[in-house]
Amino acid sequence: MEFRYIGKTFERTDGYAKVTGAAQYVADLKLPRMLHARILRPEFAHARIQSIDTSEAEKSEGVVKIVTGKNYPILFAAAGFYDQSPLAVDKVRHGGEPVAAVIADTVEHANKALPKIKVMYEPLPILLNPVEAARNKEVLIHERLGEYRHLSSYFPEPGTNIFHHYRLRKGDIDAGFKEAEVFVEGEFEFSLSAHSAMEPHGAICRWEGKDRVEIWASTQAPFAVQQTVADMFGLPHAHVRVHVLYLGGGFGGKSDVTIEPMVACVARTVPGYAVRYICSRKEVMTSTVLGRGMKARARLGARKDGTFTAFQADLYFSDGAYGDAAANIVTVAGHNCVGPYAVEHCHVDSYGVYTNTPPVGAYRGYGHPEGCFISERLVDMMARKLSLSPLDLRRKNFLSEGRRNSLGETIRDHNGDLFKCLQNVEKELFTHPKPTEDERFLYGRGVASMMKSPKGAPNASSCCQIKFCSDGSVHVNLGGIEMGQGAQQAMRQIAAEALRLPPDRVSVFREVDTQHSPWEWQTVASMFTYRGGNAVLKTAEKAIQVLKENAARVLRVKADDLDYDGENVFLNTDPDRKVAVKELARGYMYENGLTVGEVAEATAGDRIPGYVEPDPKFGMGTAGGTWTFGCQGCELRVDKKNGEVIIDQFISSFDVGRVISPQMIRGQIVGGVVMGIGQTLKEKIEFSEQGKIINATWVRYKMPRIHDIPKKQAVIFVETPEKRGPFGARCVAEHPMVAVAPTILNALYDATGHDFFCLPVLPKDILEALQ
Amino acid sequence: MSEWITLTVNGVRRTVPCTAKESLIEILRDELDLTGTKEGCGYGACGSCTVVVNGEAVKACTVRGKEKLDGIEVLTVEGLADPEGNLHPIQQAFLRAGAVQCGFCTPGFIMRLYALLKNKPEATEEEIKEALSENLCRCTGYEAIWEAALLARELLKATRVT
Repeated sequence: MEFRYIGKTFERTDGYAKVTGAAQYVADLKLPRMLHARILRPEFAHARIQSIDTSEAEKSEGVVKIVTGKNYPILFAAAGFYDQSPLAVDKVRHGGEPVAAVIADTVEHANKALPKIKVMYEPLPILLNPVEAARNKEVLIHERLGEYRHLSSYFPEPGTNIFHHYRLRKGDIDAGFKEAEVFVEGEFEFSLSAHSAMEPHGAICRWEGKDRVEIWASTQAPFAVQQTVADMFGLPHAHVRVHVLYLGGGFGGKSDVTIEPMVACVARTVPGYAVRYICSRKEVMTSTVLGRGMKARARLGARKDGTFTAFQADLYFSDGAYGDAAANIVTVAGHNCVGPYAVEHCHVDSYGVYTNTPPVGAYRGYGHPEGCFISERLVDMMARKLSLSPLDLRRKNFLSEGRRNSLGETIRDHNGDLFKCLQNVEKELFTHPKPTEDERFLYGRGVASMMKSPKGAPNASSCCQIKFCSDGSVHVNLGGIEMGQGAQQAMRQIAAEALRLPPDRVSVFREVDTQHSPWEWQTVASMFTYRGGNAVLKTAEKAIQVLKENAARVLRVKADDLDYDGENVFLNTDPDRKVAVKELARGYMYENGLTVGEVAEATAGDRIPGYVEPDPKFGMGTAGGTWTFGCQGCELRVDKKNGEVIIDQFISSFDVGRVISPQMIRGQIVGGVVMGIGQTLKEKIEFSEQGKIINATWVRYKMPRIHDIPKKQAVIFVETPEKRGPFGARCVAEHPMVAVAPTILNALYDATGHDFFCLPVLPKDILEALQ
Repeated sequence: MSEWITLTVNGVRRTVPCTAKESLIEILRDELDLTGTKEGCGYGACGSCTVVVNGEAVKACTVRGKEKLDGIEVLTVEGLADPEGNLHPIQQAFLRAGAVQCGFCTPGFIMRLYALLKNKPEATEEEIKEALSENLCRCTGYEAIWEAALLARELLKATRVT
């Protein structure tokens, strides 16, 4: 198939606006009658609220209103587990929770009033370790867990701190271990970390009376915000309008509903005014969501020939004070920790546990980095034990045509080719002999494999609207959020290809607005190019059909006998008999004004067919739906003096089905790898014993800077077309981050002879291991 | 009790209220509506608010008060393209290299490079890296920003020759 616009690099739709400072983000917006909210955070990470006295604060200069949770005893959920209030009601469960909000004429006045609010607390014991919290029945973070409303895919254990328990029971684990001749096991720990998108979270909210509200928010999920806020107040969903401008990065941290319910409650006390709340950087880290946070034990059994027979794991997630955003991650990590391998017998228990930290939410990879960390470390250990090459051992067990994954889904060739990905990594990694240890450095190489499937609501869809203008150019509207990934540009290229128009004749959406944009479940799970792209293709076909029907009336032929080339609709047996698209866009108008036919506008949507929640008893079923497979490898050196790791080369190969834009896809991979390096070697949210985050600043929370990046990154794509992807394209965005940690840790073993199981691995950990 | 300062922003003299506390980023964004300058942290760790003050790259959130702000000359990202909207070579380089993703760090990186290459057109790779290490980006993994910086140096060299 010859493509005109697919597989080529164009200047991004949002490029000019972003290099000139014209691109608008939520904090750039000013509305008339705008007031400012600041939030009081608690002194304790776990405490009962005895009283709140706002009288002094109310008298403070410029203060319009003080709002507390007493006004709003509401439980909300965006994913399906109703365990959270917009503001703390009678208890605080983590150190970043909103206790009271001040609305004032300026930010400064609001800040001045905050310390004048007097709160009396009764401190409660703090739980930070998920394994201990899961066993502790004396200290309950949610005493009323059993009463919370939830979807049937959540399995809470009332009377404990376990809000969700996912069980995977595939085959017969005892038989699997009996069949095994060699075993490896490990205890794994993944720290909590902060997404740290450059743009802080923010929302502006304005009520028209009590029945209609507009919200401008930095969210990846405007339709989820719409539904959540509407349900909180019992409003028709249609009366909540959510606008999203550009997002300054998301990485999942803006996909969960976090600050918006609070801002909606606060603004409701001053109808007619716009209330603006932008998180400080500290509040992004203490009061939105964090990512990961896992302690796990896992065991893999294999026959002597390397065939994996049994996999068993217990995973405990430190999910913080609320479970709504985390429960699905617990499930996904549970069925993905088996890795991209066919293992006959699997037995996994994955627990989402309440702790006194900020809640955990989606973070680039959504359970897959946690799971992949386990499987890929165990596979390398197994290879050593069997004296096999870690690459060959992977090949022996890889998912491929006809084999079944942990969910029992059968993998087909069109799902992607792990062998080619690994071969690409192997070729690149072993082009030269590994340097031998010298005075200063130890050298190591490692590889890891990965898979990722989306996890979403079974009805998750993307929808598209196409409108032809009277000059034949088109509007293409979708509800996918542009957060840097290139959502708009990908849609423009796909639309241009489908409509056979040059990209500069295709105007794609900029802002998203629940009133005007087609429905999009959420811009998450790396799904937008795949699902949004399919929606564009289906819609383009419908819109072209309208043009053909219009032309058929004019030319007095059958629509089926007509063709379309972007400029004209013409008879396929006689291309000279044609009508220009611009004459057909709003119906066809004869010279006397008589107009026939329909307006060339169309809408259509796409979802993964047959997608279901895992079976409650066995945890299996069609809950993957579509996969992207890949392999990564790296060569690194360890500085013996200070324990620093220098990555000389990092290689990624993913089977992406079809490259839509070479520049944008490389940007995703290279950026994701560096984010993964941060997660592996630097980033960790640290808590005091009292549950306070002690490094909630970008001075103390260290992220990769330009001198931390690999000296060289190789990115190689395999393009096995996906059967139902747009032009064969598959999901890719989170993927480059999934296997980075085990890739590096496997290389660290190669360099140091030491197995690391705890992320991040800091220079001090390496020095300790070397001694 | 409000006092006034005068500063030149993107070539235009502006008089704005300023007491002891306002930071340059507040004046740019809140008083002058120049929202291209972004606030990522508010304490000089991320560099998103980098602007050029009297020819040097400065994190606008760290400069505060009348004494430091009165009389200064500021260039922000809004002042970089020519009046017809034609992009400056550094802006062009960012687009060509694919250095823009979410765009939130972009103005800061561009202004950081502008100051460096204005003062040192022949800046070495080491000097460029040093300058860029002041700014954080969470999307790109820095590779494309690095390529944009090298390309910008070349494009600027070409403009000087012609």
